[in-house]
Amino acid sequence: MRDQDTNFQAESPALEAWRMFRRNIPALIGVAMLSLIILATLYGSFFYGGDPFDIVWAPQEPPGMTPEFPLGTDYLGRDLVAGLLTGGGPTLAVGAAAAAITMGIGISMGALAGYYGGWVDNLLMRVTEFFQVLPALLFAMVLVTLFSPSLFTIAMAIGLVSWPQTARLTRAEFLKIKQLEYVTAARAIGARNKRIIWKVILPNALPPLIVSATLTVGVAILFEAGLSFLGLGDPNVMSWGLMIGSNREYILDAWWPVTFPGLAIFFTVFSVSLIGDGLNDAFNPKLRER
Amino acid sequence: MNTSFLLRRLGYGLLLMLGVVVLNFLLIRLAPGDPALVIAGEMGGATQEMLDSIREEYGLNKPVAVQLLLYIGNVLQGDLGESFFFNQPVSSLIAQRVLPTILLVITAQVLSIVIGVVLGVLAARKPNGVMSAFVSVFATIGYAVPVFWTGIMLVILFASIFPIFPVEGMQSVKLRDASGLVKALDILHHLVLPAFTLAVIYLAQYARLSRASMLEVLGSDYIRTARAKGASPRSVLFKHALRNAALPILTVAGLQFGNLISGALLVETVFNWPGMGRLAFESILRRDYPTIMGVLFFASGMVVVANILTDMSYRLADPRLRGKG
Amino acid sequence: MNCMSRLMGAAAGAALSVAFSVAALPVFADGGTLVLGSTQTPRHLNGAVQSGIATAVPSTQIFASLLRYDESWQPQPYLAKSWEMAEDGLSLTLQLVDNATFHDGAPVTSADVAFSIETIKENHPFKTMFAPVSEIETPDPHTVIIHLSKPHPALLLALSPALAPVLPKHLFDDGQDMKSHPLNSLPVGSGPFMVEEFTAGEAIVLKRNPNFFLEGRPKLDEIIIKIVPDTSSLLIAMENGEADIFPFMQGSQNIRRLQKAENLDVTSEGYAAVGPINWLAFNTQSPKLSDVRVRQAIAYAVDRDFITKALHRGVSAQQRGPIIESSPYFDDSIPAYDVDLDKANALMAEAGFGDGMALTIDYIPGPNEQQLNLAEYMKSQLKKIGIDITVRAAPDFPTWAGRVGGHDFEMSMDIVFNWGDPVIGVHRSYLSDNIRKGVIWSNTQQYASDKVDALLDAAAVELDEDKRRALYGEFQQIVAGDLPVYWINALPYHTSYDKRLQNAPTGIWGTMHPMDQVSWGE
Repeated sequence: MRDQDTNFQAESPALEAWRMFRRNIPALIGVAMLSLIILATLYGSFFYGGDPFDIVWAPQEPPGMTPEFPLGTDYLGRDLVAGLLTGGGPTLAVGAAAAAITMGIGISMGALAGYYGGWVDNLLMRVTEFFQVLPALLFAMVLVTLFSPSLFTIAMAIGLVSWPQTARLTRAEFLKIKQLEYVTAARAIGARNKRIIWKVILPNALPPLIVSATLTVGVAILFEAGLSFLGLGDPNVMSWGLMIGSNREYILDAWWPVTFPGLAIFFTVFSVSLIGDGLNDAFNPKLRER
Repeated sequence: MNTSFLLRRLGYGLLLMLGVVVLNFLLIRLAPGDPALVIAGEMGGATQEMLDSIREEYGLNKPVAVQLLLYIGNVLQGDLGESFFFNQPVSSLIAQRVLPTILLVITAQVLSIVIGVVLGVLAARKPNGVMSAFVSVFATIGYAVPVFWTGIMLVILFASIFPIFPVEGMQSVKLRDASGLVKALDILHHLVLPAFTLAVIYLAQYARLSRASMLEVLGSDYIRTARAKGASPRSVLFKHALRNAALPILTVAGLQFGNLISGALLVETVFNWPGMGRLAFESILRRDYPTIMGVLFFASGMVVVANILTDMSYRLADPRLRGKG
Repeated sequence: MNCMSRLMGAAAGAALSVAFSVAALPVFADGGTLVLGSTQTPRHLNGAVQSGIATAVPSTQIFASLLRYDESWQPQPYLAKSWEMAEDGLSLTLQLVDNATFHDGAPVTSADVAFSIETIKENHPFKTMFAPVSEIETPDPHTVIIHLSKPHPALLLALSPALAPVLPKHLFDDGQDMKSHPLNSLPVGSGPFMVEEFTAGEAIVLKRNPNFFLEGRPKLDEIIIKIVPDTSSLLIAMENGEADIFPFMQGSQNIRRLQKAENLDVTSEGYAAVGPINWLAFNTQSPKLSDVRVRQAIAYAVDRDFITKALHRGVSAQQRGPIIESSPYFDDSIPAYDVDLDKANALMAEAGFGDGMALTIDYIPGPNEQQLNLAEYMKSQLKKIGIDITVRAAPDFPTWAGRVGGHDFEMSMDIVFNWGDPVIGVHRSYLSDNIRKGVIWSNTQQYASDKVDALLDAAAVELDEDKRRALYGEFQQIVAGDLPVYWINALPYHTSYDKRLQNAPTGIWGTMHPMDQVSWGE
């Protein structure tokens, strides 16, 4: 396998990565699954119709008993299919927003620390360690409760507790890359620090960061689900976590209202991590045999 | 390992803890809502005089800076304040809950490392074999399942449909006077489902990690030499390779500790486990601020200690790092 | 490694089977242990300074009180062996038993009784219980004379174990604030059981009091109150025999599930004195709801029958007025507002809201069946009379209490208990001088009627039972017309207990009553 690497050296890294990715079947399955899930949550309710909060049938109708409600109803008699289709949107949106916040804070902190080094590095890394010490879920719960649960506060809270790992990763990449020749060269021709950070080093540090961002989306989705399950989600917005949390009281009588949203979360995070793995392999062809 | 390193590490840990105290305090004091109203609500109602006396009693009528200094002073003396809900000091509430959480977290940690490493090593033996594929898939699945959902599914399966395991806490109250062995077995019986639930997520990560680092080590000159010298495959795998792959596993185990505590919070809630996570969750619902601050403080402290221990064992395990600052 | 894991597997298997067989052993040799499962968490164990079920259950086991009540609401001797109300109703003289001691051996004297009533008067949220008490006289260690500023027929019920525990003066009267006294968590009383252990939010272990002053009681050796916040887990524990009694159970599915269990009995007895009413509260000062016709229209639109039969699957009882229907004071002839959408729409039009209106509804977060589910039902039902409802969620109880207590609401689901006598639990919601902003379960509807004030004040001091019942009858007619709240149902509180249990606590106070006669069968 290793010999093949040399064949691609002439091509651009991105193209090479794409070729690797294209041949990675699990990753492609991930892409297909995620696209399907996103399409379903975006347009599904358009075709399927119905407010997921509406009581439409007898409570706890088992799946497969009534053709109109193929997955059955929850403890109030609300349609689970409608809930699943509508509930994915907020979950995915919070996941993506939280990942964006995580990456935003993490990359900025890591880049500054790694590039400038010295006291800047020291200070920023102390801050990073400080945030790593806080138990993430607990801290996020406190934030959400204190500032009342909404999709915005939830995304903010998840972002605030998850950025340190990204910061560390970015810093490590910057430390490595800033010693490379082309960076020294850029500095020699008088490029400003700002330019070197964002235009020279960052693009070259991107591959591992993209992988990390993908995985962060998965973690953030699980996080949102956990908060909603504990009853700290936004109660006016149907989400998968809320469906699990509000039906939990009734699991002894009805397994389906908890099981299906759980599966939905699982498949989403699963597909996201398949994609992440695929990207990882694609960016690191040498590690592919692992 | 020298003492100055340890001292520095400890001092730094203390500084972090101080930061946690300040952050907790400011967060809760500056957030909207009046703590005095919360306390009065728990007592069953309030008049203006009652509110004033509550503010006096809990020191809520002083300027925030003074309150902060008082709080730091108290924390230094081991006093985390009085719970708004329970008629007890926060420190004694936490003391009642620490051991169950540690038991759960450590069991899950050990369970996930042991099973994870065994799976990872087996997979590394044949990188393209069935076991390897299984580990990859299993690792991704374990990572993608919401931990509370696993817990609920296990409750339905093993407590309701097949009532094999209890779910009402850490021990059967009817056996509270039982002798040591019976009690230990009873706790073990209660521990199975929650510990397994918590272990599943991390198990997968350790399997994946140990597979990767085993592969790396197995490809190294060092192992080639061992093989050339005629060491048996089993000896190569477990004696030589695993020892070297242990370092990254150790690092991750240390870093995971904080996440494990977060996971424990969900698991404790699902299984009624009498730990700190459930105390924190219930206190959040009751807006019992001193208890929330106390648990945050204590849990952060556990992470700091875990980090220091990881650092130390890292140094012990890797001779190259010894003596370095 | 293989060998190792096999060994571990075998060890674990053996361990489990041992643990399992031990758990299945019969545990009642003599006396035995009763495990009471509770989903509610008590703050502490002293019912003299804290209202609510969670504290009352352990408090009534630990503390004795002056009187106790039988199934037909009749007072029975407890710490008081006899009592006599003066002709004018202005004093009550009680003779204490002379063999009662606290758990630390000190005798129970009239000084303890006087101290306790004063403590309760000062600290308990139910101010009406002892407000008329002007002086407590203790002529000798076993005589107590309670002097009243006005007649107070509710006094006898207020002396129940659930409301008036007798505290040991020598331990509590040390100048500390009673509401946060350290002994509240590990109290000493004179009741049938003594606290051995209290793990906050986890368990309360109560041991038999060998020196209990009632001969041959208690029967049980031990009561363990196990707190399991998650109802499904508690149901599993009941089915598996890990817990023996589960009082204050609600949720139609839970009730029906345990009704099917072979080892368990399920009863709705034991909640007559609690009188838990689930209602829809109106903010009568809100411009949209100040018109009584709008409130009546809502009452005509909501189908109480559907709620109790369909939404609650027949386990809850309808409630038409402010006094629980199982109370002797309930007036059966009050208007029921049977569902009538035409009438409701007509009333809306009359009130000038023919084009509809928008309202918000709050609910207490927690078990959903009584609160959120009904709020959601109101939303879909009131749409039919042109009312557009927004359900306002509260993340936690303090948030909801802040809104309703602070009068910042339009409509809210609410649960209010009668607590035995109307003076204690009913008056507070309708008296205009109990409109107290910031206080939950005061007159948060801000309903004010001179007529009602006068009737309630008269009923509070009326010693003649028939006349008192008539006064309450008139009161019920008026509020049923004015509708400051729309009463929906009595909470379907049920108790499930092991079939072998004898004398299960099913009196008017249920488990908030000394369980000194409860025992395991032969």
